[in-house]
Amino acid sequence: MLTCDQYHMPTTLPEALALWRAAPEGSRLVAGATDILPWAREGRAGHVHLPAMIDLSRIGELSGYAIADGRVRLGANVVYQQFLTDDTLRAHLPCMPFCSIWFADDQIREQATLAGNVVNASPAADGTPPVLALNGDIEIAGLDGDTVVRRSLAVADFLKGPGKTDLRPGEIVTALTCDSLEGYGGSFQKVGQRRSLVISSVCAVACIKTDPAGEVFEDVRLALGGIGPVPVRLTDIEDMLKGQRITRELIAEASSIPVTRVASRTRQDYRRTVVRGFVEAAIDDALADTGAPVPVPREREKSHV
Amino acid sequence: MSDIDLELQVNNRNVRRRAQSHQRLLDFLRDDLNLTGTKEGCGAGECGTCSVFVDGKLVKSCLMPVAKAQGTTIETIEGLAGEGMSGAGDLTPVQKAFHKTGASQCGYCIPGMVMAATSALRENPAADIEEIKERLGGNICRCTGYSKIFEAVEIARDVISGKIAATALDADGAGSSYIGNNVRRLDAPSKVSGRLRYAGDMVMPGMLHMQVLRSPHAHAAITSIDTSEAAALPGVACVITAADVPGEDGFGVFVHDQPIMARDKIRYVGEAMAAVAADDPPTAIKALSLIKVAYEDLPAVFDPEEAMQPGATVVHDYAPDNVVKHIPVRKGDVEAGFADADLIVEQTYETQQVEHAYLEPEAGLAYVDHDDVVTVVSPSQNITHHRHMLAKIIDRPINKVRFIMSPVGGGFGGKEDMIYQGMLALATMKTGQPVRLVFTREESIISTAKRHPARITYKMGLKNNGRITAVAFRMISDGGAYGLSTEGVMRKAAILSCGPYDIPNVQIDTYGIYTNNTPSGAFRTFGAMQAQFATESHLDICAEKLGLDPFEIRRINMMGDGAVTHTQQTLGSVSIGQVLDAAEQSSGWEAGAPRMRGPERSDLGGDGTRPPCTLGARFRTSGKPGRQEVA
Repeated sequence: MLTCDQYHMPTTLPEALALWRAAPEGSRLVAGATDILPWAREGRAGHVHLPAMIDLSRIGELSGYAIADGRVRLGANVVYQQFLTDDTLRAHLPCMPFCSIWFADDQIREQATLAGNVVNASPAADGTPPVLALNGDIEIAGLDGDTVVRRSLAVADFLKGPGKTDLRPGEIVTALTCDSLEGYGGSFQKVGQRRSLVISSVCAVACIKTDPAGEVFEDVRLALGGIGPVPVRLTDIEDMLKGQRITRELIAEASSIPVTRVASRTRQDYRRTVVRGFVEAAIDDALADTGAPVPVPREREKSHV
Repeated sequence: MSDIDLELQVNNRNVRRRAQSHQRLLDFLRDDLNLTGTKEGCGAGECGTCSVFVDGKLVKSCLMPVAKAQGTTIETIEGLAGEGMSGAGDLTPVQKAFHKTGASQCGYCIPGMVMAATSALRENPAADIEEIKERLGGNICRCTGYSKIFEAVEIARDVISGKIAATALDADGAGSSYIGNNVRRLDAPSKVSGRLRYAGDMVMPGMLHMQVLRSPHAHAAITSIDTSEAAALPGVACVITAADVPGEDGFGVFVHDQPIMARDKIRYVGEAMAAVAADDPPTAIKALSLIKVAYEDLPAVFDPEEAMQPGATVVHDYAPDNVVKHIPVRKGDVEAGFADADLIVEQTYETQQVEHAYLEPEAGLAYVDHDDVVTVVSPSQNITHHRHMLAKIIDRPINKVRFIMSPVGGGFGGKEDMIYQGMLALATMKTGQPVRLVFTREESIISTAKRHPARITYKMGLKNNGRITAVAFRMISDGGAYGLSTEGVMRKAAILSCGPYDIPNVQIDTYGIYTNNTPSGAFRTFGAMQAQFATESHLDICAEKLGLDPFEIRRINMMGDGAVTHTQQTLGSVSIGQVLDAAEQSSGWEAGAPRMRGPERSDLGGDGTRPPCTLGARFRTSGKPGRQEVA
């Protein structure tokens, strides 16, 4: 059971920052709360008592999104369901609808935020590989005296390890900024123990742009989660594919490389097997999302001989 | 803990209440507003029994701190029917469709399912079956099965859109007989509306809340339990231990070997050691942390075959060989049968422990009535036996003990054991107040009986023509720390061990063995599943070795009308032949010995099969092809 002395619901960022700075040690920030409540149960953290919980979901400044200069700025309160239901976000972030559909279920997606998922810094977070593939930056606010000060850094630099980030005491994440990849095809692969509502064992994301004829990889973005302490971007494979003609053999060759990246503490063999298939499927599905035909399994098997 | 002054709208009524900051929306709806149609099945967002609309969006109320509901508009299962906060109006088409198709068995998941179905059709009134499945993906059912639920949602969709007439929601005529006709369940309206109250939904004035202290060790002597500090905590009404039991302590379905709380020693992780009844759950939880238990660790045994060895750790003094029950069955002469065989195949099969995972965690409410009758309301699957056992345990005449069976939110055999009713009875006797205990999902999993894990050694002799000449079947089952239903499960496994096959010579031994694992007990099929897994797997292996089609080897050996089983029962009519014909036909079975043909088989991956783990039904509107779009 989760109990707390104070539950705050600030409506402005300065108010939230002041509460957070003044909060006793052990207090927690809350966005969707979909992770903290299951955490405070038997078998995980057990009964937890917090001095204060500061709920950020009513801060207007953290809501909504804006698109400018090829970047999409997602307020920290943007929830997963928006990536499914908002046509503009679907067009600009083509991998996110697929990530979203695999993330929990419709009900939890209405509450859970992408920013919260990234900040939790789980090695298996579904939302982090897409954000890496989208060259995501994270925006952070803190207080200097009574002045709100802001900084921004790449999500790749923000994540330090399982549960570890660059967030400093008193700071609050306000937004994620991602590349707009309108015109790309997107995909997301995930394996877990249940179709709905399960933590990833391994997940993979791809965003691909082809030439108008659909014959050449113009741009490729690939990232993997669940294979080590933090999700990783596969830039070497991206470089290998960019500018090349799209062939089954090339995709098969590229997908066998990331097997060596698996550095998880558990089930390494299983993850290696999954990773190869996942990178290949991620590329295939992202291509299909651009309108390319879907290869049949036998074609794939042949190209691995 | 601070309070929050909440103002919100619930089911069209304006509500102003003071809530406690630690409450979840689920707690507020159930405990403060008495809207118990919203259930708690897991408390971790996994099951969907708590789904409610918040500002028009369906969410899981167990994942929402109540403060988030400030200023919102809430709609619960009771509100769907309109007219009054508790749902006095007519059922909605979705609810009527659930009634029509029989989409409510235990009913515990059904309010959440109705909410998810309602949400699916509000979000997309034209949702096809794949999208409906996907939108209901956050809700779990255990006993109704999903087919009737999906059928109901499709009927409701078509009635709402006007595609079919509203009369589709009416009952089918039963004709002259209920048999062979679709008959609606009498209790379905109470389930689809959320009105049915399970034990955990029931309240009484002055009711106390119980929490249980459970063992962290698998095997240990309890050298002392000091409850004085817990008992002194303000808000605590009583703390009970085995020392409070006035009568002859012990329950079980066959052997009464389990005390209602651990007595002198603990035998598995999760065993109850003490219980607290307090004014509210947080106080009871706090009191548990003040109980001091001193242990002396004992060597534990976790493998049943190890437990059968001479000198193994003894779990119960009365059973120095750790055997709960051995059932031997003999027919004919197995040695002669094996000598007559052309082929002898020997294999070992293992099955694992399985949790029942009914959506309703165990719960009970006990009180002493005006005539001093100790009354326990619980979803017990065996109330008469429980009543007799409890009378002895609390040393009361049988007419002063009453069990009331509350609606069972799924049992599957897992609620046959009296593992908490005794604690409730003791606490209400000690305090004179009603006492309620509601298990958490974790508590239900750690402390209640599981399906017996079994290790089966199977030896079968066969002629080259496929005829079985003899079977030696030896099954070692992990009974866990207490006997519960183990004896019956071993008997059933022995009876059904060889399946519906006519075998002249058999030697069967089933053993239920004590270990320090979670106790095993009754679970659907009651021992047959483990035996059938071994028998049917074994027949497939033998078929392969003999180059026979798996259906053929079964037809060669199946019993016929008038067959006599190895337990000397004459079977008037035997239907396995029809069952095999139906299975062969409907599976599109490709005849032949079951050699590994992999992708060469034409009966795999064809019509009627479904690729695993696909999502994205609602993306198909984009009109683009792609694997992700195949739901």
